Amino acid sequence: MSDTHYTENLAMDPSPDPADEFRNWLALPRDVTASILMRLEAFEILTSAQMVCSSWHNLYKDPSMWRAVHMRKPVPLWEFPYDVEKMCRNAVDRSCGQLVHINVENFGTDELLRHIADSSSQLKCLRLVRCYHISDKGLSEVAAKLPLLEELVISYCFLSKEALEAVGRCCSHLKSLKFNSRELWHFKYDEEELAIAIAENMSELRHLQLFGNRLTNDGLQAILDGCPHLESLDLRECFNVSLAGNLGRGCSEQIKDLWRPHDSTDDYDFKYDLRIYIRYFEDLDDFDVYDDPTY
Amino acid sequence: MSSSKSNKIVKLESSDNKTFEVEEAVAVQSETLKNMVDDGCANDTIPLPNVNGKILEMVLGWCKKHVDETVTGDELNKYEADFLDLDQADLYGLLMAANFLNVKGLLDRVLQRVADMIKGKKPEEIRRIFNIKNDFTPEEEEEIRLENAWAFD
Repeated sequence: MSDTHYTENLAMDPSPDPADEFRNWLALPRDVTASILMRLEAFEILTSAQMVCSSWHNLYKDPSMWRAVHMRKPVPLWEFPYDVEKMCRNAVDRSCGQLVHINVENFGTDELLRHIADSSSQLKCLRLVRCYHISDKGLSEVAAKLPLLEELVISYCFLSKEALEAVGRCCSHLKSLKFNSRELWHFKYDEEELAIAIAENMSELRHLQLFGNRLTNDGLQAILDGCPHLESLDLRECFNVSLAGNLGRGCSEQIKDLWRPHDSTDDYDFKYDLRIYIRYFEDLDDFDVYDDPTY
Repeated sequence: MSSSKSNKIVKLESSDNKTFEVEEAVAVQSETLKNMVDDGCANDTIPLPNVNGKILEMVLGWCKKHVDETVTGDELNKYEADFLDLDQADLYGLLMAANFLNVKGLLDRVLQRVADMIKGKKPEEIRRIFNIKNDFTPEEEEEIRLENAWAFD
């Protein structure tokens, strides 16, 4: 990026007063525009940004703009007048196999997962948030198709040890796992088995988040033993874990960044941002329910 | 970033002939300027004909804040948030400058700020805000609408 005009002091006319300057946002360098436009969520892109003008539309035809897909449906169970699954498939297709990171939030089926895995063998990060229709079987079956997976986020899905075992076995590069289950108090799974699944199959983990897990001290010890490279560990709201005594000491020694069960959850990242969907709900009366971002 | 030349001053001249003197540690927050310093080309005043004085002052202010060890994390966060409370003209100038000077943290923030201005808006609103012309033909628009018929009727 460095220019070479440092050899002489050029006499320049003062540039026009910025207030008078005609700002042509389309004259920005292509890579700058791309850097801005790829920060939008897929829903936003498909329903709005790609329809602004032909240069943006053309930019979005480039597969490299679809390396990271963030697809969110506003609320998991509410009727939403868009076929979000179809939109997600389209976003994945547009990446032409270059998909590296995908966030599927508040929708998603095993079929979608298959579609993603079949076309995106280079996937490094898979985030599944409130994907109530994705099953252990579904994720287990696609695990072998994602050999480069490094990061897996499972938040408030009906997934348990079976899926984790399969991913652990097939994805030897897995370095980061977030498995959060606080909301699903009615979904029973065996925490001990889950901890063992992690301990026995994910030895390369560097980062682990088990927010709101009913993990016990035994489970935690198994994980510490089975994942010797662990650097960061988030145990917030794991109220069955007691870090007094040897376990706590072992944790502090092994782990660089530790979040204890009672630590503040202010920066916990699973909060809604409904702003981008607000424009579609202007006519609806019962929108206020979703003012609370921790819903 | 700290080097034995930490007392060295870098001189910069904006497009409107304003000169600025900053410590090297501040200047090298810009990858562009860092390359010049490393190549030994920063001994004379460096002209920046595509950055005006007002914007350059802002960029250097950002860089200074980020080498100041007395600034706390919270203070820095607040500074960064307030920094981007700009009118569009300044935002545009800042974007071009941060890109040209390659000040990574600043560039990232500005890119995100512009992206945030696009979020949640319909195409007509986006065009209005950024003064972009709708250059689709009616046929092209119809084609796009059909290709992207995601809504259930």
